[in-house]
Amino acid sequence: MTLLIVLLVFGLYRQLVIEQENQVEQHLATEMQRYQQLALTVDRRSFAAQIRAADPKTALIAWRNSVDMVGALSFVPDNMPVLPKTRDFPILTGGPDKLHILTGGIVMTHYGPVLIATRTDNLAALIDKFINAAFWAVAFTLGITLAVGFIFSKAILRRLVQYNLLCEKIEQGEYNTRLPVSHNEDEFDMLAGQFNRVLDTLENNLMAVRGVTDNIAHDLRTPLSHLRIGIEQLPNKPTEQVSDQTAMLLEELDHCLATFDAMLSLTRIEEGQQTLDMQPVSLQLLCEDLFEMAEVVAESKQQSLTLTVEKDVTISGDKYLLFQALFNLVDNAIKYAPEDATIQIVQSGKTIQIIDNGPGISDEDKERVFDRLVRLDPSRHHKGTGLGLSMVKAILSRHHAKIELQDNQPGLIVDIRF
Amino acid sequence: MRVLIVEDDATTLQYVAEGFTAQQYQVDTATNGHDGLHQAKHNQYDIIILDRMLPQLDGLTLLTALRNNGNQTPVLILSALSHVDERVKGLRAGGDDYMTKPFAFAELQVRAEKLIQRNAPSAANTDLEVGNLRMELLTRKVTLDEHELMLQPKEFQLLKYLMEHPNQVISRTLLFEAVWDYHFDPRTNVIDVHIAKLRRKFEELGHPEIIETVRGAGYRLCKGN
Repeated sequence: MTLLIVLLVFGLYRQLVIEQENQVEQHLATEMQRYQQLALTVDRRSFAAQIRAADPKTALIAWRNSVDMVGALSFVPDNMPVLPKTRDFPILTGGPDKLHILTGGIVMTHYGPVLIATRTDNLAALIDKFINAAFWAVAFTLGITLAVGFIFSKAILRRLVQYNLLCEKIEQGEYNTRLPVSHNEDEFDMLAGQFNRVLDTLENNLMAVRGVTDNIAHDLRTPLSHLRIGIEQLPNKPTEQVSDQTAMLLEELDHCLATFDAMLSLTRIEEGQQTLDMQPVSLQLLCEDLFEMAEVVAESKQQSLTLTVEKDVTISGDKYLLFQALFNLVDNAIKYAPEDATIQIVQSGKTIQIIDNGPGISDEDKERVFDRLVRLDPSRHHKGTGLGLSMVKAILSRHHAKIELQDNQPGLIVDIRF
Repeated sequence: MRVLIVEDDATTLQYVAEGFTAQQYQVDTATNGHDGLHQAKHNQYDIIILDRMLPQLDGLTLLTALRNNGNQTPVLILSALSHVDERVKGLRAGGDDYMTKPFAFAELQVRAEKLIQRNAPSAANTDLEVGNLRMELLTRKVTLDEHELMLQPKEFQLLKYLMEHPNQVISRTLLFEAVWDYHFDPRTNVIDVHIAKLRRKFEELGHPEIIETVRGAGYRLCKGN
């Protein structure tokens, strides 16, 4: 900023100087022509008279005739160039400003060389004044700039210090802390806004994790406390009951481990840490395998399981994970539908549907069932980890497949589109 | 039979070593990767039980070194890492089977025996016989006391696996793997349902006790009929 002003002033100064010099040159040129003409038209004496009468304000003229110097100047300095070339030279006068600077040159006239000069003191004074003014202007601007900059940086620094303090608070676990956003909508407000949005997301995720942790604590704590009680009672049991009791405890423990494993692998699949073993998978074959494995299970509940396939499609996917996901859905249908229910596996092109005429799922629960550890049956009567459907959703979304729950009135249609 | 157990966790090591000793195996142990590799290179083992995470030399590195050395002893990897990824890594490094901790010794024993048998080809057995139960593998004919049993393909496979390991507890996971080509923990009763159907067929012949349910562990085929 200051630099710009300095450059501007310097430019103005150059312009001024050049302008002045031009004027001086022009002035001298007119005088030169006048005296050359004069020398041609008048006689020697009139010429001398004219020179003597010349107004010193217009130009200072000196002419050396055969006898002495005529004109405003009493001498002609040596080495004066011929106009239009000029040279500056000092003269002494009797006045208050004793020393003057003149600019001038020699004109060759009919009557010999004539010195034409003009005073350039005014110019010099003007330049001095100008430089003086420019100096003060620059100094003033510089001062203002520094002051404003200081005030601004002070304000910015204050906000940064504030941000820093709040960040420290967040670091210490106060996740509900937010940075202040003013109404200026400047870059700092944008930054603070962005930061606050990140904090919102983080806080939400933390809450979600906390919720899940609470659920895990519940789901693992209950069997673990059963185990603790069981082991504590074991030495007091009659010998013939010990092996049965131990087996029961082992089952309970295995259930804990299964929940734990499911939790881990769900996280790995959801977060994409687990690499999928991609291979061509025929949806028809997949459904046939599914049917074959589940048929006997349905039979054991006197349910009928049917398979309808048309237009086979081969997709690229992880066969084992897809099978696991689909089997989980069919297994759920079998588990929750009553005896004598009908369960259908329908594959048509890229769509697989699992249709049952069991109790179905109410609309408000349809989204919730995919959440971790949500079990619609509050008594937790059916054995399960509560992670099955989250896993199904995670596996399907890694395969870019959509899953939708629809009403079969009565019953449920699980609709999967690859 | 001679087994090398490379495991740094003392409790697990003791559990596995005692299990194999009780089965009349000659048991050698190592508690870190370097010792394990040294012993595996300088002795002839029928099977090596190898922990995945070991001090000094990681289990997989040990295994790779062993295989690069031309050693083809069957290796069963034990690991606390249960992800499918880890399983694949273990098998690619040259492992023959993979088990996740915690595990039941009964299952480890069955898996180890399978590997030993595979490595030492005996005269191809075309028939299986357990007590009065006979299975002809070529004709797929199953008889109990001269009565023929009509079995579904999956029932046949399940019974075959049980007959290959008579009097041993076979976990649901093992049965699941034996019958289906899918690897996942069947948190379902699909195996139980199949076994129930199989057992019903024995029941019709008056011998439901041939397949015994072992609570918290799996199933066992009894010789004593």
